[in-house]
Amino acid sequence: MLFADTVKNKVLVHKPKFLIIMLISLIIIFSLFNLTDTIFGEFMRPVIGDPAESGWYGRLSTAFVVALIFLLNIVLIGFMPFRAQIIVVWLQLLTLFLSFFYSFDLNFEFIRSKIWFMITQGVFTTLYISAISITLASMLAILGAVAKLSSNGFAYAIASFYTSFFRGLPLLMQVYLIYLGLPQLGYVIEAVPAGILALTLCYGAYMTEIFRAGIQSIPKGQWEASRALGFKFGLTMRRIILPQSMPLIIPPTGNQFIAMLKDSSLVSVIGVWELMFLARTLGTKDFRHMEMLITAALIYWTLTVCLEFVQSRIERHYQTLSH
Amino acid sequence: MKYRNILAATASAAVLLTTATTQAGEALDRVMSENMLKIATSASWAPQSFLNDNNEMDGFDVDVAREVAKRLGVEAKFVTPAWDIITAGKWNGRWDVSVGSMTPTESRSRVLSFPAVYYYTPAVVAVHEDSKATTIADLNGKKMGAGTNSTFELYLKKDLTIDAEGAPAFEYKIDAGEIKSYANSSAVFDDLRLGDGTRLDGTVDALPAILKAAENNYPFKIIGSPVFYEPLALAIDKGDDEFNDKLAGIIAAMRSDGTLTALSKKWYDVDYTIAK
Repeated sequence: MLFADTVKNKVLVHKPKFLIIMLISLIIIFSLFNLTDTIFGEFMRPVIGDPAESGWYGRLSTAFVVALIFLLNIVLIGFMPFRAQIIVVWLQLLTLFLSFFYSFDLNFEFIRSKIWFMITQGVFTTLYISAISITLASMLAILGAVAKLSSNGFAYAIASFYTSFFRGLPLLMQVYLIYLGLPQLGYVIEAVPAGILALTLCYGAYMTEIFRAGIQSIPKGQWEASRALGFKFGLTMRRIILPQSMPLIIPPTGNQFIAMLKDSSLVSVIGVWELMFLARTLGTKDFRHMEMLITAALIYWTLTVCLEFVQSRIERHYQTLSH
Repeated sequence: MKYRNILAATASAAVLLTTATTQAGEALDRVMSENMLKIATSASWAPQSFLNDNNEMDGFDVDVAREVAKRLGVEAKFVTPAWDIITAGKWNGRWDVSVGSMTPTESRSRVLSFPAVYYYTPAVVAVHEDSKATTIADLNGKKMGAGTNSTFELYLKKDLTIDAEGAPAFEYKIDAGEIKSYANSSAVFDDLRLGDGTRLDGTVDALPAILKAAENNYPFKIIGSPVFYEPLALAIDKGDDEFNDKLAGIIAAMRSDGTLTALSKKWYDVDYTIAK
């Protein structure tokens, strides 16, 4: 919450004016789509007769009933405490989403036969590529940040050129450039290392900026104090500055890891059998692409939700440390 | 004079470099010493090559590749880079051969060598079953889809030069209004199945691929007779004549002892190993 207000206002969704405006606009919106040929029309059959022949009468009355249900739902949720609201709205949106996927008429038998392979081969590859890349990228980022903050012209120039170049190119192009370009220089790189290298360089460039901002946020007095105690640069960095900037650096780094998990799908173009590659290929024999894409989408999402949970734990940990 | 020297030096350096990469026998030596034939092929082009129910590579191309490796006396290993990476050439030994139903075109033969054609497939025009088109000419001016850099796309662009012996001559029968490029054939099929003219009015693709899709309830119908027969060949990186001849010999032997025909019948029920 941005600011916990002590002045209690009436809940917006319980104000009569709001309710009337909502009801009218919902009826208009729902009557724009013909809902009579959906499950709602079937549900209205006792009132409107055969949904297919009910015409505008059926269409408007169905829209009215759906709008009313929708509104009632909102009003009821309005009575709930904050936490319960979150849970109910989440569950409702999730049900909507799943029923949207369900309406594709998917073959669940097929999904069941492939999902284990998607996890053992696809998720495993995706995770280890991302984990190695984020570790290497963090190391690169510390170097880059120190160089960007140094008074040495060479170091600054190299680091700023690096961040500018690798933040300025699409990641997909970097994957191609490294995989196809490095062999031109005489070093034939395999697909997985090429992917890891591309992800490392690209995310290292973004994270250089995160690390730089973290280091810069430490007040000058800390540097002055450690200089007064006779600490050299390396020791100051290791013992004074970095430990204090970690609470600022780690949360956005977790964010980068979540982003990388999804961006690692770009590595599929060079033939790495990670999750995205399998999503695109496993369905081809039986022409069941939609099944595999949706399964992969849900797997990515689950992974991300888990990581977001870890992320929020880490954030809370550092919040309590710094206060 | 000085400049000329530099020029001459660069030229000879360039010659040295190219000869270094075109040393005969290099690829064959590598295959034999590693005791492994690395084969590049697609993983998403049933029934040529795909992942089967056990999540292993399977299909006509895969069977041919395994047989070639067996006759070389080495193990077969499959890699699955994107199609445009395979056709770009300069493999640098990442893989030794492409058994991926590649048509030897003029532009491809600039970067790759084609040791042997192992089968021919008819390329046909297919539309959604609701389409009103009855002849190929009905599709003039319509939206046609094909995989990027595929022979089908080149055919639609009227830029297809097949560079292989024994390939029957053909003529361009369609004047496509708009050509949409896709990553691969299955993406084309998924768009065409949405409905007649929804995203595409038609496609040109290999007959077996279209039949396979139709078998899996894709609402396609084939129009007219095949527009061209494409010879499909093994491809290797340029420069190793010994490897080239060895592979050509193996395919010739597989053709004469009936192995190729048997594999073709296994996967297509039809003998595609001879051009019609």
